Amino acid sequence: MAHRGRQYLILADEDLISLVEAADADAFAALYDRHSRAAFSLAYRMMGDRQAAEDLAQDAFLKVWRNASSYRAERGSVRTWILSIVHNRGIDQLRSHASRRRTQDRIEASAPRSQPSEAFAETWRNSQRDQVREALNTLPPEQLKILELAYFSGYTHVEISELLRLPLGTVKGRMRLGLKKIRDFFESRDAAVPR
Amino acid sequence: MSEMNHERFEDLKEAYVLGALPEEERLSFEDYLAAHPERQVEIDELGAVAGLLAFSPQEQQPSPELRSRVMEVAEPRRVGSRSTLARIGDFLSVRSLALGAAVLLVIGLLSWNLVLQGQADDLQGRVQHAQGQVQELQAQVEDARDKQQIQQSRTIELKGSWADQGATAEVVLIHKSQIILVARNLPAVPEDRTCQIWVISDDVPKPSGLFQPDGNMTATPITNSIANADVIAVTVEPAGGSEEPTRDPVLLATL
Repeated sequence: MAHRGRQYLILADEDLISLVEAADADAFAALYDRHSRAAFSLAYRMMGDRQAAEDLAQDAFLKVWRNASSYRAERGSVRTWILSIVHNRGIDQLRSHASRRRTQDRIEASAPRSQPSEAFAETWRNSQRDQVREALNTLPPEQLKILELAYFSGYTHVEISELLRLPLGTVKGRMRLGLKKIRDFFESRDAAVPR
Repeated sequence: MSEMNHERFEDLKEAYVLGALPEEERLSFEDYLAAHPERQVEIDELGAVAGLLAFSPQEQQPSPELRSRVMEVAEPRRVGSRSTLARIGDFLSVRSLALGAAVLLVIGLLSWNLVLQGQADDLQGRVQHAQGQVQELQAQVEDARDKQQIQQSRTIELKGSWADQGATAEVVLIHKSQIILVARNLPAVPEDRTCQIWVISDDVPKPSGLFQPDGNMTATPITNSIANADVIAVTVEPAGGSEEPTRDPVLLATL
């Protein structure tokens, strides 16, 4: 069994997805072990509650299990695909809640936060994550806030406009500038946007 | 709602990739996109930028129960282990040409004298000393190939500031969990310093080997398993190594 585990360990995500498509539970377990933490972290950021985040992550992984054939390598990495499932289903859930928790205090909560500890392990564990955080740090707070309200809290641009009492054109403009600034961050370092 | 056209598409594309369009507007946007597939690439690229936000949250560890719940769904459909292994074998076979080529390249770069030795029986020795690292790496690769295990090899490229300066480094994972760091063109470090390899799992760095770059190439065994590792990294530490890293990594790979 341990030998089999090692065999899965050396397979790329794309190969594991193909095996999952053929209902290989061990390949699915390997994929889960690689990406569950990132998926849960995103779910927790969106839902703000461990139980709700676990439900969302479970829901997303079950979709991975049942719909592995819908993965398209040309559209991005397996990890990005899994996170996009978490994100899309998270937005669906946030918008479907009858009593949405997304109130003004969540706007406050979504304000730019100080960066996490510079502890060594955190710095190393995921260089891609650090790069993304560095890129987000280059954004003016008003742009970052709008990206976070849209991406993590599931607000539409119209809702953001109402919440922040800004013209809709301003909201869309800040979305545009914010995303452009993130892209410029990577291009200025001759680095491709991670996918 | 106004009709979707080029101008409106341009106006809404950022909100679309952020998931911030109301349902009706989103469907209209997607209809337009379906009718103009030449714009899909642009949306994919923009979507990749938006998708980076998914990597930014502080990492949280899900409970073990979540894994159990998720796997409960998959387990009933578990396929027989024999066919599973066969399929893995298929994958490894498909990949074997590329992987084999990569390993042969390593051999070509590292073993200017190995082929001449022709002593396959002597290739069981373990990598123990820095001076013998290159030859013994070749031995392990050759041994694996002889046993038709080469398809189970894997290389992992390390990146970082030294890689940006022209150094190349790969972790070569050979069957039976033999893991070796192969690096070339590394900058020299002072005599009172040494390069130290770290295998990091769950935030815990384990010292996993020392080496001294000499300007050419080096092959160093990694002394800890990377089976559950998150990151492999190299730092420059005081001679003799450190119990935990004291400097930023000069090379690293996220697994």
